[in-house]
Amino acid sequence: METMIEFRHVKKSYGDKPVLKDFNLTVEKGEFVTIIGSSGCGKTTALKMVNGLLEPDGGDIFVYGENIRGKDQTQLRRNIGYAIQGSVLFPHMTVEQNISYVPNLLNKKDRKKTRDAVSKWMKIVGLDDELRSRFPSELSGGQQQRVGIARALAASPEILLMDEPFGAVDEITRGQLQTEIGRIHAQTGITVMFVTHDISEALKLGTKVLVMDKGDIQQYDRPEELLRHPATDFVKKLVAQQRHACHLPDDRLEECEYSGVRTC
Amino acid sequence: MIWEMWNLFLERSDFFADLLWEHLGISLLAIVIAVLIGGAAGILISEVRGAAKPTLGVVSFLYTIPSISMLGFLIPFSGVGNATAVIALTVYALLPMVRNTYAGMTNVDPAILEAAKGMGSTRMQVLFKIRLPLAMPVIMSGIRSMVTMTIALAGIASFIGAGGLGVAIYRGITTNNTAMTMDGSLLIALLALLMDFLLGIVERRMTKCSAEAKKVNHRIAAAVLVLCLAGAGVGMFRTHTGDTVHIATKPMTEQYVLGEMLELLIEQDTDLNVELTQGVGGGTSNIQPAMESGEFDMYPEYTGTAWNMVLKEDSLYTEDLFGELEQAYEDDYSMEWVGMYGFNNTYGLVARREIAEQYGLKTYSDLAAAAGELTFGAEYDFFEREDGYDSLCETYGLEFKDTMDLDIGLKYQALNEGQIDVMVVFTTDGQLSSSDVVVLEDDLQFFPSYLCGNVIRSEVLEAHPELNEVFEKLTGTISDNDMAEMNYKVETEGREPEDVAEEFLRDCGLLE
Repeated sequence: METMIEFRHVKKSYGDKPVLKDFNLTVEKGEFVTIIGSSGCGKTTALKMVNGLLEPDGGDIFVYGENIRGKDQTQLRRNIGYAIQGSVLFPHMTVEQNISYVPNLLNKKDRKKTRDAVSKWMKIVGLDDELRSRFPSELSGGQQQRVGIARALAASPEILLMDEPFGAVDEITRGQLQTEIGRIHAQTGITVMFVTHDISEALKLGTKVLVMDKGDIQQYDRPEELLRHPATDFVKKLVAQQRHACHLPDDRLEECEYSGVRTC
Repeated sequence: MIWEMWNLFLERSDFFADLLWEHLGISLLAIVIAVLIGGAAGILISEVRGAAKPTLGVVSFLYTIPSISMLGFLIPFSGVGNATAVIALTVYALLPMVRNTYAGMTNVDPAILEAAKGMGSTRMQVLFKIRLPLAMPVIMSGIRSMVTMTIALAGIASFIGAGGLGVAIYRGITTNNTAMTMDGSLLIALLALLMDFLLGIVERRMTKCSAEAKKVNHRIAAAVLVLCLAGAGVGMFRTHTGDTVHIATKPMTEQYVLGEMLELLIEQDTDLNVELTQGVGGGTSNIQPAMESGEFDMYPEYTGTAWNMVLKEDSLYTEDLFGELEQAYEDDYSMEWVGMYGFNNTYGLVARREIAEQYGLKTYSDLAAAAGELTFGAEYDFFEREDGYDSLCETYGLEFKDTMDLDIGLKYQALNEGQIDVMVVFTTDGQLSSSDVVVLEDDLQFFPSYLCGNVIRSEVLEAHPELNEVFEKLTGTISDNDMAEMNYKVETEGREPEDVAEEFLRDCGLLE
């Protein structure tokens, strides 16, 4: 397995408050790593260090096998897809202009290639082609998220960073988007780091789940391992509901302590 | 009144059209410069935050300087005329421009900026692709209010001899022509409203969001910018062929008339062009520096004023000091006094004719015996001045029965109605010529003399000796009474200074 992202003894604090104490993590190529933890635990901080939006106070970060310290951050970022919480599409640009933003930064000349890439990605994320010339304000929340994903992927990066990308959409749309991103991951083999605060989302999407608390890694493992063998009390509490979710046929539901069907 | 304004506007439509263009030119040039400089400064301080506070502090401070003093400060550096006006207007326009640009730039959602950065935009790309376009609506509304303000403020430019509709306002005020003042003001207001309306359309177009509309917008914007610059250029700097004499006049009715006379005669008798800047605000105190710097070549001046204000002598000026005055002008400023018109615009005392006849009044000294039974009237400030009422009474031993403060516009009426018997006047007051009064002689020379002549730069006179002929023709042609009559025609009958000047020169046979 090839290593795409590696954190080595990374330290980071905001003022006096340490966020990451001695953070070590290896992400293999093609993994879908979901990161979950209480707010302020350092999950977004870790994510933003990968594309150089934040700099570690100590330690090293390797992306595509190279230490990113002192490298051209702009170039680095153009090769990493980045999608963030809520919808931060550029409001003054059309769907097409939003999606082609990074391709345009990379190759201004080749307009046809860019246009084709836009079509391709709109199709992949499930956007109707006639939305091309719409502005973000004319789209639904779900459509905006899809544009956000397409924009992050348009330059065909090998790494995709997502920071609670589905935080602001309704339950049904979120389910659809989760399915889409899962499919895209399977199709492209892209390496994903995905920050979320929803454990069911983390377990559903991740090929590996990283549980963090107060800047420490609690557990980093396959989702089924998390459920079978939670490493700490923190993890145990976090996955309690999922552990006890019993997938039983209708007539046996009463056997489950946590089922709403059971009467006392 | 509205009828009068309308008629005047139709009659002088060329005059107003010229002023309108000039006004637009001055304003637009200032606006374009302010948009460029202010916009750049606003963008810069939004990137380099440390510089924001001091920069905003400086432009706010400049903004609070009263416009009159701003123009005063600028005159020593950039002289009188359009350049100074453009500079002053630009300075005032900077604050709204810088502040709105800064506000717009700093209020862009930080999440959007981080997204742009995270996707690999350079600082410049974030600035020009994301930040600036998103700040545009705020910047635009800043430009809109700045444009209205600048057009309105440009009205004041005429105080320092610049063009524009302010000329009409100022001329209207000094020559007692209310219709002209109102026309000028109204046109400024209309111009401001029109520009605001046009910018409103621009604003709406900018929020129109299709790629096609944007392309059209860019083309329109480029075209408008070019037109603005061209319009500004044409409006401000009209070129003349041949040599030009720059003549200035002070903001007084009679100076407007004199200016027209000089223009008519010089253009008739010589090959020179005349550029006449009528009614320069501040009079001598602004014209003299411009003469020294060579922006103006000549202007009509009064001997007494020159003695006190230019040569800064404290003593009372009498005409036997004229030689000394001329010498000082030649030595200190290389300027000469030429073409003394003959009239003296000084203070004078007049008595109602029946009173003068009854008491046999001819000189101020004659008043001493009769004063005890007469009422004396003057403007308020005459009673306050050191060389005013008290000093006059002391010199001639006068003791009036009563005194009365009167507004300058009402005192002739008061005299005619018998409320007062004797009063102070200016010897070329327009209404003097139509009132039944006797002008008394200042036999002890209490009031300084204010003979009117032209001050011209020696250099100009040497280069164009043909001008001497014109001045010779003018010497001694206008009496106190002639001037008063001409002032009356302009101020009371509402005639144009140019017509009055032309009529007078024709009657004297000076104009062919």
